Amino acid sequence: MINANLKSSYAADERVLDNRYKQGFVYGSILLLALFTLFGSDYAILIGSQMGILLIAVVGINVLTGYTGLVSLGHGAFVAIGAYAVTIFNNVATGIIPAGIMPFLSLPFAVFLAAAVGVLVGLPSLRVKGLYLAVATLAANFIVIFLIEEELFAPWTGGMVGLTTNAPNFFGWVLDTKREMFGLIAVLGVLALLAAQNLMRTRVGRAFIAIRDRDYSAEILGISLLRYKLTSFAISAAYCGLAGALFAYFYARILPEQFELALSLQLVAALIVGGLGRTMGPVFGVIVIVLVPELIKITFGAVTGDAAGMAQLRAPLQEIAFGALLVLFLLKEPLGINQIVDRILRAANRWPFARG
Amino acid sequence: MTLSRRSFLATSAAATAVMGTPMILRAQPKEYVVASSLPLTGPFATAGQLVSPAMKMFEALVNEDGGIGGVPIRTVIEDSGYVPATALANYQRALATEPNMVLYYGDSTGFMKLVAPELKGKNATLMGSTSFASDLANPAENPYQYLPGPSYEDQVDILLQNIKNAGGTNVAFIFSNTEFGRDPIEHGRKKAEKLGLEVVLEETTKAQGADIPTHVTKLAQSGAEHCILQGYVTGVWPQLIGGARQFGLPTQFYGTFWGMEKLIADRVTAEAGPFLDGYSGVMPYRYSYDAEEAPIYQRYAAFQKSAFAGTPLENYMPTWGLQSLISMNLGVEALRRVAGKGEELTAERAAEELAGITDYDTGGFFGGPVSMKNNKIGTGRVYTYEAASGLFQPTSDWFTVE
Repeated sequence: MINANLKSSYAADERVLDNRYKQGFVYGSILLLALFTLFGSDYAILIGSQMGILLIAVVGINVLTGYTGLVSLGHGAFVAIGAYAVTIFNNVATGIIPAGIMPFLSLPFAVFLAAAVGVLVGLPSLRVKGLYLAVATLAANFIVIFLIEEELFAPWTGGMVGLTTNAPNFFGWVLDTKREMFGLIAVLGVLALLAAQNLMRTRVGRAFIAIRDRDYSAEILGISLLRYKLTSFAISAAYCGLAGALFAYFYARILPEQFELALSLQLVAALIVGGLGRTMGPVFGVIVIVLVPELIKITFGAVTGDAAGMAQLRAPLQEIAFGALLVLFLLKEPLGINQIVDRILRAANRWPFARG
Repeated sequence: MTLSRRSFLATSAAATAVMGTPMILRAQPKEYVVASSLPLTGPFATAGQLVSPAMKMFEALVNEDGGIGGVPIRTVIEDSGYVPATALANYQRALATEPNMVLYYGDSTGFMKLVAPELKGKNATLMGSTSFASDLANPAENPYQYLPGPSYEDQVDILLQNIKNAGGTNVAFIFSNTEFGRDPIEHGRKKAEKLGLEVVLEETTKAQGADIPTHVTKLAQSGAEHCILQGYVTGVWPQLIGGARQFGLPTQFYGTFWGMEKLIADRVTAEAGPFLDGYSGVMPYRYSYDAEEAPIYQRYAAFQKSAFAGTPLENYMPTWGLQSLISMNLGVEALRRVAGKGEELTAERAAEELAGITDYDTGGFFGGPVSMKNNKIGTGRVYTYEAASGLFQPTSDWFTVE
């Protein structure tokens, strides 16, 4: 519990960033991101972009799993839908829609298509819960990848071979470098986080939380489970669709194998490690899932050097170290890294008085 | 000769010019870097773990021969886990951290396709890979990527030609439902038609855990004399052949490069009996034990004996390792040609020199001198497995296809 945040009006209580720490953190982060976009090394920009794309998808999973309490193991499918929708839209509409306004149409199209499919995939959530729902959503991943790879749709989806994607063009400004793309990803990533934070202030967000805490109690309170569960699926799928669209813009080519089950599991793992149902949970989760393996790689490389047998030995060790780290985090703090960070901040805030 | 003012000035001007001219016009780096992504973990870890030491051998031998234009090379190996995006991150990391990187070696068709559009300007590097995907042999679109042998389409051409030469009348294609499996099938169908071979079956299977009895039954119903298997590495193809033999089918089976590894055939023979006896396939290179006419293999063997004692590489270099070695040798040859002309080792120049490699003696990898055409080398021959000796023996001459 954070103390010393006196609010003297409802307006102050209702603000998205309801205390000075949060404001300072958000504005500071935005400044850092801007500086990073300008001065980060190419490699750092690549890793940053990968993190940003994954972050948006994990924020989506957080809406569904963290806030509404519905587990999904099929969200890789929505990332795929976003990626393919934006590319196919672009390919089909080239010549009809001017290139400079294409992303303003193709991005919303990708997001809405993902949301629509999300509603469809969410239908079983009305009848099944928990692990059963997880298994039901698993099917989404397989079906979508199957359809993408199907010969019948290959003229549009490229089938097994994948599709070459286009760089987005905003009124003639083509984002064809990784740095420019990172700028876009960072802007949308911050907006996605703020939107998720804002969502929980609204009636819809509170309904999600009520459903998570006890769905039949929520129904008795007058919350329509049909409406809100499907809304939750749609919103989370839309986030994943946006992540997919950015993925397609960022990489020069998309292949169906990039969106398979491993991606869905990675999204859920990132959320659990980061912290379910917390705005910053996805951020911490993505840092651990993307950045930590890179850091382990760099550290191991620096320690062992380029000696002949070392690379061979290093690779499996890196995987083991990463796995062990995940287990350690979960054992030490099942509520995710967000909780660890909270505890540290709280102690710092109260220092030198009571800790914890 | 008297030293006039005029001749003094002329002589001193000439002397200044000679002494003042830098010996090397450009500062040469201390070392060049050859980086690679290999599947050291994941589904193809077996291959990656065997190829990785070969990289270090390559480094040692290239440096023994004076590196590239007198500058030694250093190899860097990163794990990709056979995930294209990870390999791409490895490549980007290498670009960012190794300013003197002149050659890259990738580990999958997926990676090569993912990275291809990125190879522009300062992000371009000459790039070989483990893939023989037909799409990659396209210098107009991917000038920096090359195949160290024939594409899968070429390999199927070689097999079909061989079947025709042996008097075959029909053929079946069984392939995995992957990009790798599907790669040469359409082309193979056309080529078979051209040669007057009837395609009696086109059957897709899963890449792993395929439903063997169903596929074997279909093969039996088709009445195929010959069957080409494509898109498998360690699994499915041995089971398919085993299933067909149990069924009593006399069909002759053929594979392409990735289905031709002696280590796999030996293991299958040891575990399940000699049913792979007579299995044939196309191989672009000599096997490492066929070193008589391959001086470079003899050199490798000597190195392997001392450096890899006690490992599977002590007496045998897998075909996967050979592919990596020739791929990087070709890259280094192109770079040496650029360095030999005193030019900077840019990807553009390296690609130009690579495309210009003609009648080049690889030291015995291939049957004779080879040429780069369309960024590939369309040469190979048919080998047949002898279960008793555990060796793939050549059963055709070297074919070259365009």
